[in-house]
Amino acid sequence: MKKIERKDFLKISGGVLAGGLTGWVFSGAPFLGFQMSVEWTQDQHVPPKGLEKFVSAVNDACPNGCDVTVRKIGERALQLKSDKGLCPSCQVSLQLLYHPERITSPLKRVGSKGSGKFEPVTWDQALKEIASRINTLSSEGKSNSIAVINKDESISAIMLDKFISASGSKNVYYESGIKSVTTPVLDGYVDYDFNNTDYILSFGSRLIEGWGDIPAMRQSYINWKKKGVKLVHADTVSTRTASSADKWLPIKAGTEAVLAFGIANYFITAKRLNSSGAEFGRWAQMIINSYPLARTATLTGLSEDQIKETAEEFLKAKNPIAVAGKGGIGISTSSAEILAVYCLNSLVKTRAASIKRNSAITYKAEFNGLDAFIKDGEINMLFLNNSNPVFKSVLGDELKKKMDKAFVVSLNPIMNDSANYADYILPSMTYFETGAAESKPVVNPYKESMDARDIIISLSGMVDKTKNLFPFAKGINADSLAGKVTATDGRFSFNIEKVKGSIETLEKKIAQNNEFPLTLVPLEIPMVGDGDGLAFPYVLKTIDPGFFFKGKLLVQINRETGKRFGLSNNTPIVLQSARGKLGKVYVRLTDTVAPDTIAIPLGFGHESYTRYGNKKGVNPKTIMSSEVDQLTGTADWWSTRVKIS
Amino acid sequence: MTVKDVAMKRRWGMAIDLDKCIGCGQCAVACSQENNMPIFEDDSDVPKRVAFLELMKVTNDRDAKFPDVRTAFIPKMCQMCEGNDPANPDPPCVSVCPVVATDVGDDGVVSQIWSRCIGCRYCQAACPYEARVFNWWKPRYEGSFKNSLNSDVSISSRGTIVKCTFCSHKWKQARDKAVAEGNLDINAPVYKTACQTACPVGAIVFGDLDEAGSELAELVASDRAVRLTNSIDDLPEDKQKAFLKVKQFPNPKVYYLTSQSWLRDMMRFKKNS
Repeated sequence: MKKIERKDFLKISGGVLAGGLTGWVFSGAPFLGFQMSVEWTQDQHVPPKGLEKFVSAVNDACPNGCDVTVRKIGERALQLKSDKGLCPSCQVSLQLLYHPERITSPLKRVGSKGSGKFEPVTWDQALKEIASRINTLSSEGKSNSIAVINKDESISAIMLDKFISASGSKNVYYESGIKSVTTPVLDGYVDYDFNNTDYILSFGSRLIEGWGDIPAMRQSYINWKKKGVKLVHADTVSTRTASSADKWLPIKAGTEAVLAFGIANYFITAKRLNSSGAEFGRWAQMIINSYPLARTATLTGLSEDQIKETAEEFLKAKNPIAVAGKGGIGISTSSAEILAVYCLNSLVKTRAASIKRNSAITYKAEFNGLDAFIKDGEINMLFLNNSNPVFKSVLGDELKKKMDKAFVVSLNPIMNDSANYADYILPSMTYFETGAAESKPVVNPYKESMDARDIIISLSGMVDKTKNLFPFAKGINADSLAGKVTATDGRFSFNIEKVKGSIETLEKKIAQNNEFPLTLVPLEIPMVGDGDGLAFPYVLKTIDPGFFFKGKLLVQINRETGKRFGLSNNTPIVLQSARGKLGKVYVRLTDTVAPDTIAIPLGFGHESYTRYGNKKGVNPKTIMSSEVDQLTGTADWWSTRVKIS
Repeated sequence: MTVKDVAMKRRWGMAIDLDKCIGCGQCAVACSQENNMPIFEDDSDVPKRVAFLELMKVTNDRDAKFPDVRTAFIPKMCQMCEGNDPANPDPPCVSVCPVVATDVGDDGVVSQIWSRCIGCRYCQAACPYEARVFNWWKPRYEGSFKNSLNSDVSISSRGTIVKCTFCSHKWKQARDKAVAEGNLDINAPVYKTACQTACPVGAIVFGDLDEAGSELAELVASDRAVRLTNSIDDLPEDKQKAFLKVKQFPNPKVYYLTSQSWLRDMMRFKKNS
């Protein structure tokens, strides 16, 4: 063997070293090391400091009209507070303002509907096309096929209502809330005086969990505790309202209306009370015949004494109120229930509940309610004002099909399930960016977003019929459009022919059913509500693992019932109703739910609600009962007969 | 007089009325907003979640059957333990820290310095209340969420323990403000924690436990007050004294108020009576 010379040795070691170095460099290791050292030393984000300021803002898009004080550092908004307390959506509004998936500019659909493919366009281009579509439909005499679905009763909703009505359409709807559902039944909504009552009988209204005017309700709740106001709550699930009530009536699922019938019957037969409503006689006869105390007791699962005792307490109270509208933020009720519960108020002639109307929002449209419109309405063009009916309505899937054929415009700051089916998405501002007549905007507008009110003014100026509709050029001056709330003459009709269908549906739901032995009821969890909260990471941090854990949506089932069906915790089941199947739900056995009942959290199962809200659980509304009430025009989806398949 | 001359008299504590609490969760959101909680793609994933305030939903459904079941919410944050002797506080987490990253201030607040923590997690193991969370991942704030970060709370790095500090940065601000206005008495300024500010029903009362006649002092002394699993609370007084000599107890400064016996029992790990 040849002896290795010193020179060769140096050459070989040099070669090995050079090769090794080259390999090391190309392996990426030094860069990775460099990156890690940067991360550890340099990439520590330091929030920039700046001048501290406190500015006030009013959320005009919030139905509760929350007043907030915003803490600013430099140009950044950091914290919120309010003396009156904030509603949940205002509490997370900073996460909406700074959401990384805010829509930056007007978007035009390029893919098929629902594919989520959009391209940015200019405001001019978007508004021109939308206006010309309205003008074309109008000239063809089809203006009634232009429809609006508003999220709530905000100023922009009133403006859109005015604009579309002036264009010649009668199809303006609001996502179902307690006011919009009650109005067709009582010719106004019920204004409860929660601060001057001494006895509250709630028929499934989860009063402290988002029902009605949230901040005001919470203030009233504190006062009830101080003044000793008695709260009696009928519910199928041990909710927080049920637990903090003075008395909880644990009724069988979906029998809230029956309880109201039973109490009304007791008042009519045993106490000879009379209601001022028209056609009371016929209605009373029906109640006397069909809902005697014994039958009410069997149907609701309460004892006759319990019902009598509650009725007596209600009668003896000075200013009692009976509250209709099951649920928290998402409300569900039927015309029969609204009538029966309001009947109790009118029977005892309470002064704490009266019928009111808002002059700007009549809720009068071609159909009585949103679900009736989705089912039977003709849609050529649809405006969505921050609303998400595809997700929230039980007829969401049907609406999707109709939206497929219609020209859809959606106004919203972040993407949602309904906007995904729109032809144009117009980015609206949050209240931090719009400002109000008396206060400046808190922060500068996000990219190309626009005040929803300004969008509507611009559009109306481009439509032939509505050129001079609004007497102001800026949306912040639109407060004058807010309606006046006035009391009606208090007359209402028991309208027996129209509530018949509602009572039949109710009887069908609570009757013995061998095919679908269980009843599905909804549950709202803190901050998520009926689904709006799920796009915000800080809301996701509050979700209890008993409802949603590692991507699994847990349905709450009574222990005994679970045992009967051989269920154990965390096993996947498929729920089936007459409408269809709902898979990917998991069992959680708990005695907080009545026997033969399944409580399912609302608000999950978004198709398209930013990366935080997507792919989390399933939406129970897809299988919930969708029979539209003739009078309210809305489905009472509260209780649905299901089986485990 | 200079600031150094005055002795600290504050002993911050909290009382949370569980009978008033409606479980809205707004305290938790406000806390996350105030304290720069990291934002991950899926914060509903509990084991990975980083949050100071946990909104616990509790029921008595193990012992009671429907309809005798009740539901309540317990907002749970660092309980600010002080050990057996309030004059010489010794929380379970402080003595185990090898780098003095956590300590008790003379105001009674169990502090934590994110940047000093070496991530050994001894304190997390020692904490009886699971009030400490570990940053398993680098805290991220996706995109524009960075804009709402609070410049008064530092951002923690990966591999460190973080915890509730009773928003003590707000107290420092209040003191700075007082000094700027010429008030050098360090005991004068008061402040409100983020969760307290956000509570819409006033269920959270925060203040100085030593301040005689204050709302907090009254609430803490009431029969409704109960502390989370502080086993010594249930013993008769003579036994308490004997135990205090031989064993350290957490002795937290967060009190919960409730008159519901099932909830009191649950919070003390007692079987339902």
